[in-house]
Amino acid sequence: MSGEKKTGVFGELYRLLFAKNWPVWVGAILAGMINVMMFAVATPWSGSAGYGSWGKNFYKVFNALGFDSAAALTDNKWAMLSIMIVLGSFVAALLSKNFAIRIPPVGELFKGLLGGALMAVGATVGIGCSIGGFFSGVPALSGGAIMLTIGLFLGTIVAVKYLFWEMEHLPGISTGRGRSLLGATEDKGNWQKVLGFIMLVVVAVVAYNYFKAGQPVIGWFVVMGGFLGFISQRSIFCIVRAFREPFMSGDADGAKGIIAGILVVLFGFVVIKTMNIGTGEALMRAREMKMVHNNFWLRGLLGGFVFGIGMTIAGGCAVGTLWRMGEGQVKLWFSALGFMLVSPISSKFVVPWVEDVLPFQMQFKNYLPDYLGYPGAVGLVLLILAVWYWFAVWNERTGKFSQF
Amino acid sequence: MEIKVTVDTKGLSCPMPMMKLAKAVKGVNSGDYIEMLGTDPGTKSDLPKWCDKTGNVLVEQTDEPDGVFRFIIQKK
Repeated sequence: MSGEKKTGVFGELYRLLFAKNWPVWVGAILAGMINVMMFAVATPWSGSAGYGSWGKNFYKVFNALGFDSAAALTDNKWAMLSIMIVLGSFVAALLSKNFAIRIPPVGELFKGLLGGALMAVGATVGIGCSIGGFFSGVPALSGGAIMLTIGLFLGTIVAVKYLFWEMEHLPGISTGRGRSLLGATEDKGNWQKVLGFIMLVVVAVVAYNYFKAGQPVIGWFVVMGGFLGFISQRSIFCIVRAFREPFMSGDADGAKGIIAGILVVLFGFVVIKTMNIGTGEALMRAREMKMVHNNFWLRGLLGGFVFGIGMTIAGGCAVGTLWRMGEGQVKLWFSALGFMLVSPISSKFVVPWVEDVLPFQMQFKNYLPDYLGYPGAVGLVLLILAVWYWFAVWNERTGKFSQF
Repeated sequence: MEIKVTVDTKGLSCPMPMMKLAKAVKGVNSGDYIEMLGTDPGTKSDLPKWCDKTGNVLVEQTDEPDGVFRFIIQKK
């Protein structure tokens, strides 16, 4: 191997981290571990809450819609977590020289905006998104989260059918002048690496300031948000891929990865709940009911369905939108804009209507261990994951449901 | 090597690049070459996996200026 360029110890590590994307399961397991740590610090990971906070602060600036009392972005752990996911991904994209401002045709920008708006309606109606409702909700043993997940699947299938229809009948939407600015090649664009290291320091300084100011919870959320963005960009961690690909390319890697991540979260959450870890003065019951909302069953199903359509049209779920923003995908900037602007409006005008229309039996808190005990509830979640795994792998081998 | 079709997916994000490529591949004959231009980093891992699965051949992959990736695919 005399022709190979020698690299030092840290050079080797750098190549390991940034030369290629990591397998999805690596990213999902790491994201799962961080989700468990977030629960130990305060509360499990939620994606939609950050967009909601961004939106309320936007309307607050214009004194509109009565969000004057909304907490400032810097005082809201969800808002800061989401901002840091964008920044963490930005750092990862820069250090791997993957960053570029990627501008799609105008029709795609509109799809991003619409997809984001639908995700906002779905998340507020269903009380959860691809993260809080699924990646945290299912391991939190919430019955409503399982209904929301079924809704996500159904919504994804409908939206995939729409995308294929659009390709045939309205190809102009995704055709036109697409551009890419500031991109790098192997030889050019080393400024990205320099800026990446500078941004890394910025993230560390922001986190340090929260700890110094006596706000350790937001400080930890800043740190964890940075890691989540970094991990997601490197591993293409995206819930929508896990749901969508069996019905498109048939690739099962996304589903297998997310299932591995869910298993980690399930294990960690059950330990925390049953051992009452990190409760402080909170009651154990309050700890158990984290991420268990009054969305069982139709409310979760409806919300998940609308969210599933939105995330598939946007091309990114709650977290996929954030980290793709950091990577420079302009379509996802529009998706975040739609999510942010519609979230407070939906909370204020759509959700009260849904709460009035649906009977109590269709929107109550269903904590699975209350009905099945912990062994039964965990067993049910494991069974669902096993069925999903079997379907994804079987479909990958047979191509029964995949389109290309 | 004569390029039969060029699929321009610059600026598009997942899943549109792979959908457009799959549609273009359906429209050419076996052995034909297709050029794909894209900017979504995810395509770099999606496309080789898709070629492995479908039997189409990824003949060439290069990085062009401004973050554009160029792929040449031969239909099986």
